[in-house]
Parts: sequence; C-alpha cells; structure tokens
Amino acid sequence: MQYNVIVIGSGPGGYVAAIRCAQLGMKTAVIEKYDTLGGTCLNVGCIPSKALLDSSEHFYNAAHTFKEHGIDISEPKVNLVQMISRKAGVVKANVDGIAFLMKKNKIDVLKGVGSFVDKNTIKVTASDGKETSYTTEKVIIATGSKPTPLPFAPFDKKRIISSTEALELKEVPKHMIVVGGGVIGMELGSVYARIGSKVTIVEFLDSLVGTMDGTMGKELQKATKKLGMDFYLGHKVTSVENKGKEVVLKAEPRNGGAVIELKGDYCLVCVGRRPYTDGLGLDKVGIELDRGKIVVDDHLKTKVDNIYALGDVVRGAMLAHKAEEEGVMVAELLAGQKPHINYLLIPGVVYTWPEVASVGYTEEQLKEQGRAYKVGSFPYKALGRARASMDLDGLVKILADKTTDEILGVHIIGARAADMIAAGVVAMEYRASAEDVARMSHAHPTYMEAVKEACLAATANRPIHL
Amino acid sequence: MAQQVKVPTVGESITEVTIANWLKKDGDMVKMDEVIAELESDKATFELTAPQAGVLKIAKAKGEVVPIGTVICEIAEGGGAATVSKPTPTKEIKTETPSTQPMKATGAIKEMKVPAVGESITEVTISTWLKKEGDFVKLDEILAEVESDKATFELPAEANGILRIVAKEKTTLPIGGLICKIEVTEGGVPAAATSAPKETSTSQPATTSVSYAAGTPSPAAAKILDEKGIASNQVAGNGVGGRITKEDAVKAQATAPAKDTKAAPALSPPVITSGGSRNERREKMTSIRKTIAKRLVAVKNETAMLTTFNEVDMKPVMDLRSRYKDQFKEKYGVGLGFMSFFTKAVCVALKDFPAVNASIDKDEIVYHDYCDVSVAVSTPRGLVVPVIRNAESLSMNQVEAEIVRLATRARDGKLSIEEMTGGTFTITNGGVFGSMLSTPIINAPQSAILGMHNIVERAVVQKGEIVVRPIMYLALSYDHRIVDGRESVSFLVRVKELLEDPGRLILGV
Repeated sequence: MQYNVIVIGSGPGGYVAAIRCAQLGMKTAVIEKYDTLGGTCLNVGCIPSKALLDSSEHFYNAAHTFKEHGIDISEPKVNLVQMISRKAGVVKANVDGIAFLMKKNKIDVLKGVGSFVDKNTIKVTASDGKETSYTTEKVIIATGSKPTPLPFAPFDKKRIISSTEALELKEVPKHMIVVGGGVIGMELGSVYARIGSKVTIVEFLDSLVGTMDGTMGKELQKATKKLGMDFYLGHKVTSVENKGKEVVLKAEPRNGGAVIELKGDYCLVCVGRRPYTDGLGLDKVGIELDRGKIVVDDHLKTKVDNIYALGDVVRGAMLAHKAEEEGVMVAELLAGQKPHINYLLIPGVVYTWPEVASVGYTEEQLKEQGRAYKVGSFPYKALGRARASMDLDGLVKILADKTTDEILGVHIIGARAADMIAAGVVAMEYRASAEDVARMSHAHPTYMEAVKEACLAATANRPIHL
Repeated sequence: MAQQVKVPTVGESITEVTIANWLKKDGDMVKMDEVIAELESDKATFELTAPQAGVLKIAKAKGEVVPIGTVICEIAEGGGAATVSKPTPTKEIKTETPSTQPMKATGAIKEMKVPAVGESITEVTISTWLKKEGDFVKLDEILAEVESDKATFELPAEANGILRIVAKEKTTLPIGGLICKIEVTEGGVPAAATSAPKETSTSQPATTSVSYAAGTPSPAAAKILDEKGIASNQVAGNGVGGRITKEDAVKAQATAPAKDTKAAPALSPPVITSGGSRNERREKMTSIRKTIAKRLVAVKNETAMLTTFNEVDMKPVMDLRSRYKDQFKEKYGVGLGFMSFFTKAVCVALKDFPAVNASIDKDEIVYHDYCDVSVAVSTPRGLVVPVIRNAESLSMNQVEAEIVRLATRARDGKLSIEEMTGGTFTITNGGVFGSMLSTPIINAPQSAILGMHNIVERAVVQKGEIVVRPIMYLALSYDHRIVDGRESVSFLVRVKELLEDPGRLILGV
C-alpha cells in the first residue's frame, strides 16, 4: 500500500482529517479536483462571504453611522470590483495557507477527481485526462456539498444564481430576490442590502433561519428590515424566469391568497445544499446513499470496513466546524483512540450583522420534549458596550432546566455573537448551570456581559442592569 | 435487631476471602437462607446465606479482600422502607383512579442499578436504550435491553419520571453499577400513576442532594475514560458538583472485573506502520490466579526439583482400549480413557516406591500408605487440581467416573475445598493440548508429578527391527530432597512397564 490514508476532498473536513492523520504518524494523501485547496468553505463559502460581509459592513457604517460618530466624509461609493478582488486576495491567502499546512505535515496533494477502483485503490483523473492509481489502507470521503437548485429553475449563473456566483458579481444589483431565508440567503442578502441593493427574501417557512430558536428569526427580521429588506414568509415559489435583463419570480402564500409577482435583476437561490458524491464511484465499493448522503455509523464508518465519510456528505448539519470535528474524530479512531463528538453542542452561526449564534436546544425543541425549562434574556440595548458601538440590536437568550438550572440552550443575536457562542459551548460541555455562569466574572465593558446578565435572568429573574 | 454477618471459617489455611459478588443490593429485602453474596478464596467460591430475614446493609464492597471473621454486612429485621431497587409487590399496587394533577417533579431521584441477574454473572452490557435521555418514563416500562454473557433481558423503569441515562449503549457495567437515574415525578401520567413515586420520594431524601452533573466527564475526560474502557460511573468526580475532570480520568483505574480494559495508546511518538490494532488489555488477576502464581514460584524456590523422562509404547493400552471400550461404556456408562490406566499404573508404582508418594513436614518425612491422586484440570478460571481419593482401591471404571465428576465440577467452578486438598501425587496431561514434552512443576507439598504428553507414531527399534509405534513421552518431576534418582527413575520405568504390558496391572507384578 502506498498510503495509510487517502482523504478525498480538501475542505475543512478533509484537510483537517489529513493533518490529524499525519500528526498521528500515518502516511497521508489528499485528493482535490479544484486548483486550490480548502473546498467550499475557503473558496466559495465561509471565508469569501465573510470577506464581503465585512466590506459591506464598513460601507454601511461609512454611509450611515460615521456622521454620528463624528466622522465627516463625502458620500462613500461602492467599488464592487475592488471588494471582489480584495475578497479574492483573502481567499488566496487562506488556500495558500492550507497548501503550506499540507507541505508542513508531509501530506501528498493529488490533483484531480478521485474515484474508487476498489476499496483500497483510488484512481485520480487530472484535468488533462491523465489517470493515476494509488493504493491505500483507509479512505476518508470528504467531498462536501453543492448548492441545490430549484427543480423548475436551474442555475443559469447569469440571472438565476447560487451563492457561488453571488460572491463574484460585477455590479451592485438593483433588486436582488433571494429564495430561502436560511443562513446563506440571509448572509448574502444582507451583504447586498448593505451596499445599496433592494433585497427581497422569499421563504417557504413562517420564520427566517428556521432551524434556530424562534426568537432569533424574529429578531433577525427586525434588524434586517432596518436595512430595507423585504420579506415574504410562508410563500412557496412557483416559478422563476430569466427574461434577459430581468428575472421574474412568482410565489403563492402557503395559507392561500393571491399569487405575488416579483421583478428583479438577480434571483439568488439558497434553498439548501446537496451532498456531493458525483464521480466517486461508490458503486465500485458498494456504498449506499440515503437521500444523497453517505450512510455512516456512529464512528463515521461506511458499510465498507476501511472507508469513512464525514462533513456535508454525511448526516448532520452542513457546517465547516462540524466537518472539522469529524475530521479529527476519524483520524483518531484510525489511530485506535476513542474520541467523542457531542453533536448537540456544535454551534450554529449566521454571519449577518447583527450576527446570530446558538448552541444546544431551541425553545421549540424543549417544548416538544415536554421539558420544564426557564428562559432568561437580556437585550443589547441595556449593555454599555453595545451603546458605545451603536450595536443596539439583539439579545442573549438562555434556556435552563427548571429544576436543576442546567443550561440547555444559548441563543445570541447581536454584535460578535459568533465569537461569544464559544462560551456557551464551554458552559454546556461542562454542564454548567445558569447560576454558575452568572457567578463568573465577566470583563466590563464587553458584549459577553449580556450572557452573564441573561444567565442571572434565567437563574432567578434577577438581572442587575435591567 | 440488626444481625451482623461475618465471613465464616471456610477451611483451614484460608485466612481471607474476596467478596466476588453481591447477589443482593444494599437495602434489599432478603429472606432467611437466601444467598446474598459469593465469596472467593484462593481455592474456591462459596455462597454466603442470610442468617435471618431483613434488610441488607452492605459493609464491604465487591472486590474487597477481607479476613475471616470480618463483618461484611448487617441484616436489619423487618423494615419495608428501603431503597428497594426491584419493584416489590407493595410498589406495584396500582391506584384505581388515574391522577389528574399536572406532572410535578418530586425532587427525588431514583438510581437504577444493574440487578443481580444470575449466579456467575458479574457484569452486563447495555445493548440498546429503548428510551431516550430526558424521556418521560412510566413505572415498569421497558427502558433498555441489557445483555449478559448468557442472555438478554429487559430493564423496567423503577419509577415514573424523567430518564437520565448514565451508562451509554455498549457500556459494560458490573452488577450494582449505575445504569440511569429517574427524576421522579408525580401526577400527569395518563392513567398510569402509581403509588410508587410518592413512596420512593419519601424514602430516598438522601439522593436529592446529588448534583445533576455529578459524574459528567469533561470532553477530554470522556475520551480518556473511553480509551481506558472505564465507565464514567465508576469514577469519582472531583470537579465542581462531582464532575469528572481530566485529572480524574487520567488517574482512574478500572475496577475489577474490567474485561477488555484497554490501555490508552501511547500518544508520543505515535508510530503507525500498518494501521493494525495496537491495543493492550489489562485485567486484574483473580484470587485463584494470584494463588497459582504465588505457589508455583514458591515450589520452584523451596524444592530441589528436577525431571526424569521416559517413553511408553502405547500400543498395548490402545489395543486393549479399542477392543473393550464399547463393552466398557455399555457396562459402566463411562468411557474408557487413558487416565484410568495411568492412575492405576501410578498407584502400583507408588506402592513400590513410597518416597515418591511422601511429603516433607518440617524435619519429618510423611509417608502415605494410600494414593490420593491429584488430577490437573484446566478451567476457564485457571488450573485446579481435584483429588481422586484412595485411587489404589478403585476399579478402572470407578477411576474414570470419578475423573468425569471432578472435571465437570471443576469446569463449572463448583469444586469444594475438600475436593481439592490432600493429594499425595499429581498427574497432569499436557498431551491433550498437543505437548510433546514438558517439565511439570510439583504440586506442593507433594514430592512428585507425572507429566503425560501426546501420542505420536514414531519409528522405534524393537527386537532389532525398526517399527512404527504410538509413543508417549513421560516426564516425572520430583523433589530431590526426599526422592533419590534411583527411586524416581525406577518409578517411571515401573509405570512404563505396567503400561506396556497392562496384564501386569492385574497381577501386580
């Protein structure tokens, strides 16, 4: 065998698995079909979208809040070409970083499309058609996911676009219609809303970011409405048509009523992502799919003894950090260790501004479980730090067990929520009670004080600053 | 009145016993003469019965080694108020009218432990949880399927309430190990409210102070414990509220009987060459194993042991056996094996060379005018050596029958100490495992041991011609302090002659 492990896919799940395998002494290779490493996250996902979110946030502040801060500038203008090219620089720095990490850990990078010949042999087809086969003891499939199109309106990449194209637009859309009020739709929608586009969200469910706690969706809607975003919740999109210079979308309310017709210059479709296994040759090794996902056991092992799969291509949330945890877990399992992942405590984050982040159970889930719980919340408005930065939108919501006071869920919408949620994960991993957190010193003035205050509220409804 | 139960005197020379297993749990109601525990000495396992009926209060935990006479438990007379883990009849009385009150936590927590599921079963594995963490469960509802090495059984809820799983699926727990907790609730249960929760809540106030997080391992601790194969409920948490810290996990050692306990793989330098398993297992030595080890080393150190060899042409015995084995079986109901030939031959030879049948007691040599032949039997728990009493006066079929009886009892772990003590000479048969030749170790305080080996067709010279004969090598290890070379070698030659001409056994010549 040429390798102990071959990892197919170099996204955050794949490259992390490869590095951890290499750290554990395994001879490791990673296969990537694109020119750059890093997968969706680094190339067309998390990193570029955050780059644009920050640029658009700066623009928004320059246009709207600098004056109040006492900074007088002439009216700022969007240079979208520069924004996109700066984003490209950020992406390049990151993917180069991954290439460096591969080299540092002596991981071979095999460029091309990987597919199974048998369970120990992987054929790599390079872009020039050249085929090379490699043998390996173990295989880790980390091929990730692709945006799902609407069944009746495939991506034409001109007017009907996916998140990938939305990161490369040449002009600021006049009216961007976003199908799907989930994480990706809200993030990219808010980017363009902040740089001056009219953005309309059409969502099938009755709330935004539907998998999160209901309060988060409501608060996010309030906050993004201030950017001028329009919402059609509970609407089912029935058709999207590219009319050349414009795109026309029709949707009908789920509860009956008149069909609406929206006209815009771009329609961004963010209705989900599908696991990507095309060309892998799974039939060669007898691996089955369940609704597109590779079926794995609790140890991420497929039906075939030496083949593992992780990240977006298996069950669970499609999140980079979930894939990273799984990458570490598989590598350590291969080394005979016994790592754990507590999937309940994988945080979810939405990079809008204000940001949304959560971990643990939502209030809706607790209700469904019939669990006796308490709620404590604290608004950013009452926070000195938030007032200083004029980030007054948002709140922290703590859910705790009614009898034991154990924290069951932490939900934050507001400035820096994405960074703050780590504290919630730590608290919940150690099964802290709300009072435990409330009795820990939190530096002043910080956004994190809102977490402490919300815990005080959850403990016995005794926040200090409310 | 509480009666103290002490470790009974179980035999001479036994000074301490290990509590192998509690068959009853702390707080259980026990009946008089009911078996409440299994005690293990270095020689055998005994059952401990309750001297009176009452509530059991355990003083010494499973696995503890205690001297004879130690109080290991108390039995308090009467008393229904107890932390009874199995639902007792009184708890199963259903109230006629279902409660209409809203569900209300009583604050009590019912700890559910692994029940004693049968003799000889020391641990069980949680195979499947049928209920989820946080589920509301009703009294007697099946929560999980539990597997022992013998059978699978169902675990019914011992109270109404919210399930808090402690032992995850695939965890192996000893009898008495904590499986789950039920946060006892009252009312709100559709048509199934019973009197049980109330009763439990009033009788178990002590457990309410236990933190919900007690025994929760930190993420790093969980990984370490899993790699060591230790269930988190076997570790005392020193973190806040009884949480298990990384340090607790690092220091934790598996308690007996921890099967499949895996040592954490060395983290540095992690050299993986083939991807094959690098696991090691550590098991605590059983009392029997420790005794075997101690005694074998003692014999090596304290005797002047050496071994003499000879070979036996087994053809005559084999011919005789094949000719009569069916008739023998029919008449006596027991098979005719080689052991009876060897035993009888040894008895004849021992009469001729009494020193081989003797033992040393301080400054005296004890000669035995009888032949109590010990027979080494391999059992899953280790080597045991039951004794055929007065083998010299037994007929062949009696010897065979006795061997079958002793071997069966040995494999079932039911040999009594009497059946294993005494013995003036030992026969061990490594041939059953394919041994060609070995040097057995004397079974002290005996002075000699005969080693039998496999029977192999070899070319031998008889009457000037090379012929093929089934040959067995014999080995006699003996204590040179009292057995001289002349005696030992002559003894072995005598055994050889008797076996090569079985007629001499009858005639005694």
